[in-house]
Formats: sequence, C-alpha cells, structure tokens
Amino acid sequence: MAIALRALRRNRLQTSLTISGMAIGVAAVLTMIAIGTGAETAIENQIRAAGMNLIVVTAGNYKVKSTEDFGGGAVEPSAALRLDEEPLSESAPLIGAIVRAAFHPEDDPMEKHNHPTAKQRLGDSEAGLGSAATLTSMDAEAIRGLSGVQYVAEGLHQNIHVKAGEKRWFTRLHGTDTRLPLIRRAWTFGHGRFFSAREQSRAEQVVVLGAVAAERVFGDANPVGHEVSLWNQPFRVVGVVSTTSWMVAPAPGDDQFDAVYIPFSTVHRLLNLSKLNDITITAASTGDVTRVMGEVTKLLRARHDIGEDKPDDFTVTTQARQALAKGGMRPDVARAVVGNVGGLEKVTLEQLGKTLDRATRTMTALLAGIAAVSLLVGGIGIMNVMLLSVTERTREIGIRRAVGARARDVRSQFILEAVALSVAGGLIGIVVGLIAARGLSQYLRWSTTISPGAVLLSVGVAAAVGIFFGWYPAKQAARLDPIQSLRYE
Amino acid sequence: MSTGEPALIAAQEITKTYAMEGAPVHALRGVTLGIRGGEFVAVVGPSGSGKSTFMHILGCLDRPTSGRYLLNGRDVSHLSDDELSTIRNRQIGFVFQGFNLLARTSAVENVELPLLYAHGSHITPAERRRRAMAALAAVGLQDRAAHHPNQLSGGQQQRVAIARALLNDPAILFADEPTGNLDSRTSIEVMDIFQRLKDERGITIVLITHEPQVAEYGSRIIRFKDGRVVSDLPNTFRRAAAAELEAVALEPAGDL
Repeated sequence: MAIALRALRRNRLQTSLTISGMAIGVAAVLTMIAIGTGAETAIENQIRAAGMNLIVVTAGNYKVKSTEDFGGGAVEPSAALRLDEEPLSESAPLIGAIVRAAFHPEDDPMEKHNHPTAKQRLGDSEAGLGSAATLTSMDAEAIRGLSGVQYVAEGLHQNIHVKAGEKRWFTRLHGTDTRLPLIRRAWTFGHGRFFSAREQSRAEQVVVLGAVAAERVFGDANPVGHEVSLWNQPFRVVGVVSTTSWMVAPAPGDDQFDAVYIPFSTVHRLLNLSKLNDITITAASTGDVTRVMGEVTKLLRARHDIGEDKPDDFTVTTQARQALAKGGMRPDVARAVVGNVGGLEKVTLEQLGKTLDRATRTMTALLAGIAAVSLLVGGIGIMNVMLLSVTERTREIGIRRAVGARARDVRSQFILEAVALSVAGGLIGIVVGLIAARGLSQYLRWSTTISPGAVLLSVGVAAAVGIFFGWYPAKQAARLDPIQSLRYE
Repeated sequence: MSTGEPALIAAQEITKTYAMEGAPVHALRGVTLGIRGGEFVAVVGPSGSGKSTFMHILGCLDRPTSGRYLLNGRDVSHLSDDELSTIRNRQIGFVFQGFNLLARTSAVENVELPLLYAHGSHITPAERRRRAMAALAAVGLQDRAAHHPNQLSGGQQQRVAIARALLNDPAILFADEPTGNLDSRTSIEVMDIFQRLKDERGITIVLITHEPQVAEYGSRIIRFKDGRVVSDLPNTFRRAAAAELEAVALEPAGDL
C-alpha cells in the first residue's frame, strides 16, 4: 500500500488529472441521483403536505344523512376544520381583514361572530348533537398499532381567549399530540419548538402559538419563555409554528396558524375530560390510504362494540376526498366532481401521486445512467494512465523485480495505485457532488436529496472501477520479464 | 571444484537458447563452473559472448534452458518465479551499469526497497529506515539520504545502488558493468568498495565487464566467447584499488 501511494506521489500531475477525471464522474453521478431523489421527495412531500395520506377520524357521525347530496362536504364541520391547508371559504378571511381594518378587533363586539373560526365553531356546535364524545385516547393508542399507519395524533378543539398582559386574542385551541408536526410536514418553528413527549405525559401547561396568534399577542417579539393565560391558567410559550409551504401562508382565521397548540393531556387534566374530538392519522404510503381507512373503521367498530346493522359512531374521512370536495374549486366544478366522487375516488390524487413517483424514479434512473457514462469515461481514463505508467515505469518494475518483488507484488502495487486513484477521485467527487447539489438547491431552488446509500454506492463504484480498470494494466506489469524491463530505455 | 569445500555457485552444463524471430539464438552453449564463497570473480568477454545471460541465470533473474544450477547446494534451475524472487531478495544483490535507482525517490527510500519485499520478516518502517541509513553510512552517503538520484553524481548513485544491494546481507553481489558509466577515478572507488566487501565481509562478488583493466581487480578472471568459457584463471596480478586511490590523491588534481 505504502509503495503504491509513494509511486503516485512521484507523478503528481498525472495523478491529479486522473483523480479529477474520476472525481467528475462520481460527482456527476451523485448530483444526478441527488436531483432525481430530490424531485421524488419533493413530489412526495407536496402530496403529503397536501394531505394525500391524511385520514381523520371524527367523533360522531354526520354522514348518515349527507352522503347523497353535495351538501355532504359542507355539513361536515369538523372535517372542514381539519382541512388546514386551504382557507375555508374565499370570503371569510377577507371579511375578517376588512373588519379589522376598520376597527380594532378587540373592540369590535361583532368580532366573535365575524371571526371565521367563530363561524366554524358555530357550525360545529350546530352539529353538536352528532358529535357524541365517542373517541378516546385508548382508541388512538390502538390505531397506532395498525400496520401501514405512520403517525397518529389525538385532537381536542376549543375556542379560546389567549391573554398576555393587556393583549387578548380570540382564537382556536388544539389539544394534540407531540406527533402533530410530523403530520403537518410543512411546519417550521420560527422560534422554539413543539411541546415534548415529557411535557405531554406530565400534562404540563405549555403552549405552542401559531404564527398569526403569536403576532397578534406578542407582535414581532420572540414569545418563547413568556407566559400567556388560557382559561385563566398560566401557560409557558415553548414555540411558534409557521410554514414553509408556498401553497399556504398563515392568515387570520386559518385554524392552523391562527391557533394555539397544547398537549391533549393538559386539556384533559384542566377541563376534566377523557374523550377526543378527533384522531388524525397519516398512512405511511399514499397508495395505502384506502386500506388503512378500512382497517381503522374495522378496529373502531370492534372497540366501540357496534353491531353489524348499526351505523358507525364516528366518521372516517380522507384529506383527498375532502380536497376534491372543496379544495378551493369553483363551486360548479366541485359540485360536478363530488357528484361523481364514488367513481373518481379510484383514480384520485393517490394514483396521481403514484404516477408522479414512478415518473421521477424513471427520471432519476435516466439521469444516473447519463452520469454513469462519465464514470465509465473516468474509469477508462484510469486504465489509460495505468497502461501508460506500466510502459513508462518498465524500468522501475525491473528494479523492483531484481530486488525481490514477486510478480504478484508488482500486480498488487498497480491495482492498489488504480484503486487509490479512483477512491481519491471518488471522495473528491462526493465532496464536489455534495457542494453541487447544495448549490443547485440554493440557486435554482431544485430540491436535492443525498442519501448515505448514494454516497456509499459512489465510493463502492469508484473502488470497483479502480479494480476493474486497474486489473489489466496490473497484469501487464506483473507479466513483464525482469531482464527485459531492466534493459528498457 | 578442485577443493573439497562445496561451491556456493555450481553451474553444470548450462545452456540458454532464445527464440528470436523464429531463429534460435544460442546465448550459452554449455557452461560448467563453480564459484566458492568469498571469491571476487571477474567475467570478461566481448558483447554477445553470453556473459550477461550467464549472470542473469546465476542471479536468478532468468532460468537456464538446460543444465543445472546449484546455489548453495540447492538446485534452483526449476524454481517458480515467486521462489526465485525470494532468493533474489534474500541471497543476492545487484549493481547495474545504469545504477537503476528509482527516479524521484530519495536515496534512503531507494536503499529501503529490498526490505519492502522481504515477506515474512516483520520489519517496522522505523527499523527499515534505520537499516537503510546504516547501509548508506557504510558507503559514506549518510548526509545524502534525502537527495534524489538526479541530485547525485554518478559515483554517488552507484554507491546508493551498492547500499541497496547489500541491505539484506546477501551472500553474493552481482555487478553488471558497474563502472561503464563512471570516470576512471570513481571506477576505482567502486572497485575499492568491492574489494573491501570481499576482504572484510567475505561477500562473493561476480563482476561482469568488458574492460580488461577493471577485471584485474578480481581474484579470478573468467573469459567468455560465443556462449562458452574460454579461460578461467586465478588473477595473480590483482590490482589494489585502495593503493591506487592513494596514488591518485597524490597526483595534482588538475586532470580531475
């Protein structure tokens, strides 16, 4: 090994040119794979962020009457609450904004009713009888055990006044689970963090503010560590949640960022409750949503002891279905779509997601294939240099043989040189590839993902190229006759 | 083999035939001779007489077409390439006309080379370096250890090559026209080293040369012609390199 490295050091220019050839090959492969898998993940993420894999179980059953008509979507108030990515209606936040422009919301007696969240709340309470408290955290725990289920979050929803000193803000309170940020994939924490499992298990009085709520109560200041009061109880602010998605911007009344989050266990403790309003589930795979939905229904019916002929005492919906029903579509289009929702469901966004996945995977393979050609060229470069160097160093080989190097010593020296060249090139290529991928995502805003697997693969391929293309020259070197090579000029 | 003492080198009816463009070339046509340990043998002959081929076979760089070659009593004429490599590494040292040092490699690293291939004997890099430095010191080049061959004079390069050849304490040193590229004074210096190796360390030296004057430093002179030994005589007028060096030193330095 030392012999090989020393020999390489002696011929710096040639060595560095060969290494750079190899480096370019590896960097190209790595960058292409990064772009490909990045695109794949981006699509996957967008689909997930759009809630394609989201399943919501709501206590009570409103569907009994409403499955037939288009109103079904509109009359599912709790379900509507879960549709966080989209404004609930085009006009509601607008009205809110106009009202606030004219009056200070705190002074406005109508605020409570004009506030879009309040309006929803109204719908919620209208449907109140339907929302029998049937779901428990034990149900949620049982759902966690199902296969194909990724994350499960308990949900309790209330309207609440958030008070900090003189400031008050009427908003939505969600009692939920630590896993909610994993479900809302596009969430970021501008300040602080989400509440922890420990805080949840001890039912501590901690709160995460939505960006809008935080802005209303604290302005631009960082609220983390400050106290707010909910139900006249002191709560410590641990974080502020905002979004990275370009599809949604935090807006007043959006139920997601105009909201506060506390552990559901804290809600249970303070309000002396034991039931849940809903349970939010994500399926591990977008294509698996329908099956998981069925499993959840079966499980809950069994747990709730519901007889064959009795209707469910809960409602299971998917985000995809809801998105179709009211994802910001023009009402007439939505009407047409939902009218055919039964048939449409089979070809919905789930399948669109799968198709996109497949398409990007093909693209990745194509890009990697093109890049692999440059790797091959790098390998041929190594072979070329090694063959040249065997000729150039014939005399050196003769000298080594004369002082006792065996044919196999010479062979392994040349193979090791080739491998050292390709691995060094590979390592540099990885660094260059990482930088290139970063640059691409920074300046072109392409998402790139480099997995450890791809890096390992590159190193492996580089070493394999070295061995493969180094073998023949090394064999040639080992075969040289010592006397001939000593005489070689 | 006139004495009862077993020969270190025993060549028996050695032939070597090359196939060159179809026509066989008989480089050696049956050579039989023995060399005892501690001899300084000079082999002379015109080019093409087979003396280099003979040295390659004795040096285990090549194998005879027929005949037997006993090295230290062991028949090595049919050993494998690996076994021959090991013998070259442990028992034989070479010094060549063109020095044959690795370019762009320091003197001490050149000297270390045989130890890199001393398989089975676990020598640490530090020990390797120490022994290489000692070998360089023995030829008076300890202060040139870091120099590359192109920074050394011809005589110094040849001394580095000698240090390398002696690193594994070989029994035999083969020198193929070692003075061919050197001026007369440095030639005498190299011969002085050889004579001292023979006298002080008892190393057997086989010197190949086409210069009769150089051959006269040996204690025995063997003449080759057309692949055969034509004469094999003890050298009664052996030149003493050390004495000549002193004489040269006394001369005015103008002609150097």
